[in-house]
Amino acid sequence: MIINGVVIDDTFAEAFSMRATRVIITAINYKWARHAAETMTGFATSVIACKVEAGIERLLNNNETPDGRPGVSVLLFTTDSKTLEEQLQNRIGQCVLTCPTTAVFAGMYSDQKIPLGKNLRYFGDGFQISKMIGGKRYWRIPVMDGEFVCEEMTGYSSAIGGGNFLVMARSISQALLACEAAIDSMSTLPNIILPFPGGGVRSGSKVGSKYKFLNASTNHLFCPTLKSQKDNLLGKNIEAVMEIVIDGLTKEDIANAMRLGIEAICDLGKSQGIEKITGGNYGGKLGPHHFHLRDIMNESYNRYL
Amino acid sequence: MSHTTVTYNSSSRARLDMRLLSQAFDQSPSIAKIKKAPFLLGNKKVQIGDVFKISGQKLAKDIVLENANNKMDYVGHNLTYNLTVEGDCGHYAGAQLAGGKLVINGSSLDYIGANMKKGFIEIKGDAGDYLGSAMTGEKKGMSGGTVLVHGDSGNFTGDLMRRGIVMVAGNIGDYCASRMIAGTITNLGSIGKDVGRNMRRGTLLLPHKPQDVTGFRDCGRHNLGYLTLLLHELRRFESAFQSLHPMRRRVQRYQGDISVDGQGEMLIWIG
Repeated sequence: MIINGVVIDDTFAEAFSMRATRVIITAINYKWARHAAETMTGFATSVIACKVEAGIERLLNNNETPDGRPGVSVLLFTTDSKTLEEQLQNRIGQCVLTCPTTAVFAGMYSDQKIPLGKNLRYFGDGFQISKMIGGKRYWRIPVMDGEFVCEEMTGYSSAIGGGNFLVMARSISQALLACEAAIDSMSTLPNIILPFPGGGVRSGSKVGSKYKFLNASTNHLFCPTLKSQKDNLLGKNIEAVMEIVIDGLTKEDIANAMRLGIEAICDLGKSQGIEKITGGNYGGKLGPHHFHLRDIMNESYNRYL
Repeated sequence: MSHTTVTYNSSSRARLDMRLLSQAFDQSPSIAKIKKAPFLLGNKKVQIGDVFKISGQKLAKDIVLENANNKMDYVGHNLTYNLTVEGDCGHYAGAQLAGGKLVINGSSLDYIGANMKKGFIEIKGDAGDYLGSAMTGEKKGMSGGTVLVHGDSGNFTGDLMRRGIVMVAGNIGDYCASRMIAGTITNLGSIGKDVGRNMRRGTLLLPHKPQDVTGFRDCGRHNLGYLTLLLHELRRFESAFQSLHPMRRRVQRYQGDISVDGQGEMLIWIG
């Protein structure tokens, strides 16, 4: 499959099962809501070492938030619900409670729940106030700028992490340009985050390593400086490969995001130095969710014809 | 038929214990069986069918009680379904309400919503004393749900109230929020004397400062974000509370009752 000169590889991207929750952070203005959200989602690129993958889903206007103030929707993904609970509590406690004027609310409702403000309330040292409003419990914790309002619980759901595709280009700058176009396009979608810095990854990893103590290592098959290795997959024209990793609430969310991102890259086309799109395929070792690139791009392909 | 109509057709002047009707509704959905269930007309044992005319064969989830009057006590007791009352009610309307919806198209006497657990009570007219309070002998009052009074409420509104929201569009009598444990009471009119006596926790949200706030300490003026959440809830119901803007959150806060080391709060709208 070739779209606008860009080869879509006949492969699939592998992804794995996760647990996800969404919280809504509001503040007096977007500036402070973003400060809280960006701090809370810091050091949350990969579960390998960060234990959580988190990112800003989107900005919310006054009509979309429970307390009528500007807000930010944040998604967090972990491999299990216990870690999700720990990470959420620590990050809300250290990054949102501390941030001036903020409040935090559940962004997801389901039968499966984890504490949001339930344990943070003890910071109130007995001065905290509980309010049951519309069947939901909120905590009002006195702080130095007034009150920190937080909802007691938030829901969580099963989700998918590690959806991905790789962009192969003639130069680093062209690979970056393509990724930026894809990221801009995908950032408009709900239910997904791109957890890595700016949405792009340059250190794609493979499962396992020659070192026993490491369970992930550089994906040497895609390293341009290792073209001499017989299993290296890069052609002579390719100088840089970038990966875009997507975490999403459902398989459809990730597939949609991949489609939109790859379309944006294909719009640039071969004339902008983009040679090929492929997927992170680990032979089924990474996870049960497989995103076949050509199936995803089939509709787009017909449109380009 | 979408609803069951229950029409009172007795001219007795005796007070009626409507718990017997609620019990009959809970025991069987069959109208034939409900009609044969026992009822008390004063000290005279009768059957429900002797006193009430009930439409249909099977009890619907929406019930309309017609020709009601203020001799009927415990209307909607332990209610889990929807009951609309055409007329007034006596004491203990909606007492121990357990998730149902009670709408009274009239007024009601004392102890409305006493010990109610969850659900919604709407009174189109006025409410008597001890609205949302505790039934005799109970240590805690209303423990959940919402009561909306379009008219006025009497004395001791929210006495021993534990949780839930009481909304009074009109005036509230004396001793409001006495011994209040938690929950929220709000109104749009005036409030009587001795507000919040022995109040432990909970919120009083008022449009005007009461004449006497002895027992409360001024905590200054604040923008409380949680008020938007509360106002969204208050505005859900068709009432005068819909005139409040959801972003109205500037209040003067008083805390008390300090005589019992209480952390209750009285919030007075500013602006």
